[in-house]
Amino acid sequence: MAKSKAFRPSVGERVFRAINMAFLVLFCLTILYPFLNMISVSFSDSFAVLRSEVTFYPIGFNADAYRQVIFNPNIIRSYLNTIFVAVMGSVLSLIFTSMAAYPLAFCDFIGKKAFNVFITITLWFSGGIIPSFLVIRSLGLVDSLFSLILSAMIGAFNVIILRSFFSNLPVSLVESARIDGANDFSILFRIVMPLSKAALSTIALWVIVAHWNNYIAPLMYLKSRENYTLQMVLRDIVLASEGNIYQIESSGASIEGGVTAISDQVKNAVLMFSMVPMLILYPFIQKYFVTGVTLGSVKE
Amino acid sequence: MAEGQSRKAVEWKAVGKRLYKDRYVYLMIAPVVAYFLIFNYWPMAWLSISFYDYKILGGFARSQFVGFANFIHFFTEMDAWRYIWNTLAINFLALAFVFPAPIIFALLLNEVRGVGVKKTIQTVSYLPYFISTLVLVGLINNFLSPSIGPLNQILASMGMEKIYFLGDPKYFRTILVVSGIWQGCGWSAIVYLAAISGIDSQLYEAAQIDGANRFRQVLHITIPGIATTIVIMLLLQIGNLLNSNFEKMFLLQNPYNTSISEVLATFVYKQAMRQGNYSLATAVGLFNSCVTLLLVSISNKLSRRYSGTSIW
Repeated sequence: MAKSKAFRPSVGERVFRAINMAFLVLFCLTILYPFLNMISVSFSDSFAVLRSEVTFYPIGFNADAYRQVIFNPNIIRSYLNTIFVAVMGSVLSLIFTSMAAYPLAFCDFIGKKAFNVFITITLWFSGGIIPSFLVIRSLGLVDSLFSLILSAMIGAFNVIILRSFFSNLPVSLVESARIDGANDFSILFRIVMPLSKAALSTIALWVIVAHWNNYIAPLMYLKSRENYTLQMVLRDIVLASEGNIYQIESSGASIEGGVTAISDQVKNAVLMFSMVPMLILYPFIQKYFVTGVTLGSVKE
Repeated sequence: MAEGQSRKAVEWKAVGKRLYKDRYVYLMIAPVVAYFLIFNYWPMAWLSISFYDYKILGGFARSQFVGFANFIHFFTEMDAWRYIWNTLAINFLALAFVFPAPIIFALLLNEVRGVGVKKTIQTVSYLPYFISTLVLVGLINNFLSPSIGPLNQILASMGMEKIYFLGDPKYFRTILVVSGIWQGCGWSAIVYLAAISGIDSQLYEAAQIDGANRFRQVLHITIPGIATTIVIMLLLQIGNLLNSNFEKMFLLQNPYNTSISEVLATFVYKQAMRQGNYSLATAVGLFNSCVTLLLVSISNKLSRRYSGTSIW
């Protein structure tokens, strides 16, 4: 019965399906267009860009904009800074988030409830960005990359997610290790963490993406240009409010009001260049983030 | 008496034994507790400068307790109501348009037959979620650019005058809402799609036997089936309401659109980081958090009464 219905949909249903499909395809094109346009503009022939002929695909070929970006020491410096923050940040985050989640999942100690509340409260209450800045300043971390790493090291939400992943592991595993005389640190680092690779990858990717895209924290905490992260440099180039401060020669040579402006091609090349690691991670992000999100929402 | 004391001693001994047994657990949570105290609770203590006239150079020793003076100053001598109105207007627009978009998208995507097609559309749909706000703003600049932007080219090809969209306050909210849908729709739909796939398929089979068409099935099975998820997402959204979009608004802000784009969060940032008015900024931030908390409590209460769903 159900099957025959599925094989012979009514006319109305078929019309709906066609319209629905067309709408969703259009939606996908709207999502892809800005990216395709960005890539095309950055690679196209300068004159085609100036005549605004470039849309979905590059016209001509010209990698000059990328040469400008890749050989610019400021951009490379900021790139390395951001990689350092993201890698360091995710490693520390994994270690300490696990250390917060493990006792909640496996141990029954005096003060467990208080510890749980102590962490959960921070989901709902926070000092806000200015008090956080004042703390960073009091710690003497202003203009240090560690301000970024430390301020995002342990998050209550990640602790809760990881705890629920840990809780799904068999408790007997932990108990038998305890009987064998292993202490909680070795149980966590030798048994529990190696068995939770999926969960830890989710959180690591989460932290990496957050660090990579973070803009407000570096804007507040970093002062000197050699410590800038990628997003900071991106702002200076893309929004170009302070003019051409990174000595980028403009390949398109568009001169506005006597000042050489950074050409649209270079801007797009920088945008593209900033997204390369995210695009490389995208398949993993996809796999792990989706399971993470659905698990987080189901488990809450 | 003596017996009571000795019983107490025995109890204490047992507690001591348990504490000793779990010594590694305490050693493990010690750095975590220290971390939360420093990076989460210490900022909360800094909120107290809302009631002081805090000078960054003199520190607390030089600052004076001023009671509610910072709040009064904000409401009587600054454009407080305009910032509050801008904040509310932008966020209610987001609730009205950005919030339902992923629900509709999830329902439409659920109607697509063919796993491969579905998966491809979904993969494309959450691509924008992973780009930074700066890249998003860069793309908005591209798209709306008077020189190379496709929108202005269309206008020009129709013989109309080009518009500098980002410089005109009346387009600001539209840009914010449309880009919000573009960036978040696919990603937020994941939760709804998961909820839809959790619905018992027998319900659909029973409805088919009763002769319900697809539309009626969606109306009477799918939507009620994900109602709880929708309510929870709505409550969480309200909790984030007044701080969401801060980066984007901050980056899209320019001297031409401040009449619309200046919201509480951007005001707080500028007062502190550009003017050095840390006390005033913290006071306004605190006001913002209190309003958020109030909104969440009210909606949580309403939701518990009318739908039986709540987040605490």
